[in-house]
Amino acid sequence: MTVRIKGTAEAVTICWIPKYTLLERTMHWLHTATFVPLALTGLILYLPFLQPLAQGAAGQWIRLIHRGAAVIFGLLPIIYLIIQPRRLLMSLREFMFDKDDIGWLKGAFGYYLLGKHTAMPPQGRFNTGEKLNGVIMVLSWIAFGITGLVMWFGKGIVPPTLFRWMVIFHDLATIVTVCMFLVHLYLAVAHPLMWAGLVSMRFGVTSAAYAAEHHARWYYGPKRAKRLYEEAKEKAASEAGH
Amino acid sequence: MDSNKRAAVDRRDFLKLTGVGLVGASSARLLLQPSGQAFASTLNKNDVAILYDASKCIGCLVCEEACKEYNNLPVETAPPSDLSAIKWNLIKQRQGVDPADGPFFSYQCMHCTDAACVMVCPTGALYKDREGFVAFDQDKCNGCGYCTQFCPFGVPHLGDVNLITGQAQAAKCTFCQARIQAGIGGPSCAEACPTGALTWGRRGALLEEAKARVADLIAEGHSGARLYGESEAGGLHRLSILLDEPSAYGLPADPQGPITFASTWQKIIQPLGEVALGTALLGVIGAFLVTRRNIRMEEVE
Repeated sequence: MTVRIKGTAEAVTICWIPKYTLLERTMHWLHTATFVPLALTGLILYLPFLQPLAQGAAGQWIRLIHRGAAVIFGLLPIIYLIIQPRRLLMSLREFMFDKDDIGWLKGAFGYYLLGKHTAMPPQGRFNTGEKLNGVIMVLSWIAFGITGLVMWFGKGIVPPTLFRWMVIFHDLATIVTVCMFLVHLYLAVAHPLMWAGLVSMRFGVTSAAYAAEHHARWYYGPKRAKRLYEEAKEKAASEAGH
Repeated sequence: MDSNKRAAVDRRDFLKLTGVGLVGASSARLLLQPSGQAFASTLNKNDVAILYDASKCIGCLVCEEACKEYNNLPVETAPPSDLSAIKWNLIKQRQGVDPADGPFFSYQCMHCTDAACVMVCPTGALYKDREGFVAFDQDKCNGCGYCTQFCPFGVPHLGDVNLITGQAQAAKCTFCQARIQAGIGGPSCAEACPTGALTWGRRGALLEEAKARVADLIAEGHSGARLYGESEAGGLHRLSILLDEPSAYGLPADPQGPITFASTWQKIIQPLGEVALGTALLGVIGAFLVTRRNIRMEEVE
């Protein structure tokens, strides 16, 4: 496959390598298809200027849609666990943080926002930002599940104090996840350096050159990625010295 | 060197953008607040109020019947043990209390000044009437039931809850709001009471009356007599003369807990959350603009 890049007359050949399985992608998009309506219907109860939509019969519908979407949202990870438990656990293990993540966070601002071509610590299949996203998603899934079930079925059964705390935590989880969703959406659809992300989540494949640049530990393996990283740093240091 | 200089300026630009975003998000949050939701928790001596004197109540239930009739509420087959969506005024008898010591108590909405139900209601169905009581607009209620969980007195209730769909409607004593708002009379319970146990009027006058009555009761030997509602929950619009500890009537000695909880949620956490959401949105737009200038697509491999 070839892609024509703006501003040049040459055609670039891209070597595609597999990154996400069909099930991973299906789960990702079903998660999106339930999270978005959940966030929208939830924000209607939250943001004061949307209050008219929360009132009366409209509000009853909003709450019904929220519950319908919540059931699917809650079941998705469980379905994934049943179909491919090993793959799910592998992905969860990939979310573990290490000291390279600190280096990535330090360099991310200059690299992704200012376009500095500094060497970034080698990343696995998920980079530090994606791992943060993933960990928060796992934690918020648990938080939404517990608080949502209590709010749905616990009214009048659990002590009011517990119910009140559940409402607050549901709220906080909403604030965190919607903020994160906005950043995720931007990086996926509008950030020039992340162009391959949306491609791989749609078609399951990524560019080999992109993987070598952004996911070196996954592409080359940890040893070779580390060596290349050290070499790149030395090269940059000697260039700065001249 | 040149690229470093450019980067330094851009970092300052980005911080500026973020600062503008934060200010923008905060002011948008203030501007977009609908005027109806601006929650006025002021207490006025000219507010209307109900005064209940437990020492005068004979448990005749005329108030309950008047409430049912005026508000068109269905009649239960068996006497209920608690307030419900169709029971807005309930007389309960305290077991083992001598008739001379006021064994009855009338439960209804306390019409708080700092009403937790109004703070947490996401629809504006529950609101503070200009006369001070907590009014209710049935058409706006979507049945979320937050009011039932935040009221320190357990007053609002949901009727006919569908557990799966969540379809429901809240209900509670409305101070017979239509009569007050039209200026044609007071709450039906107080108007109907034959013994003067339930009366209504301007809150300032009722307070004076109640304090004098408490002093008389103490002089008569009711050493436990006290006024409930002068300052509780910011000041209640249903004042009560008790002959014993509030707990003896199942009333909270201090109803402030859930109110503080509700106001922390509504007045601190939620506005901060809105600012966070606005900042994230503007930050993303700012990042888009900054990145577009700094990273050329032609350079991307």
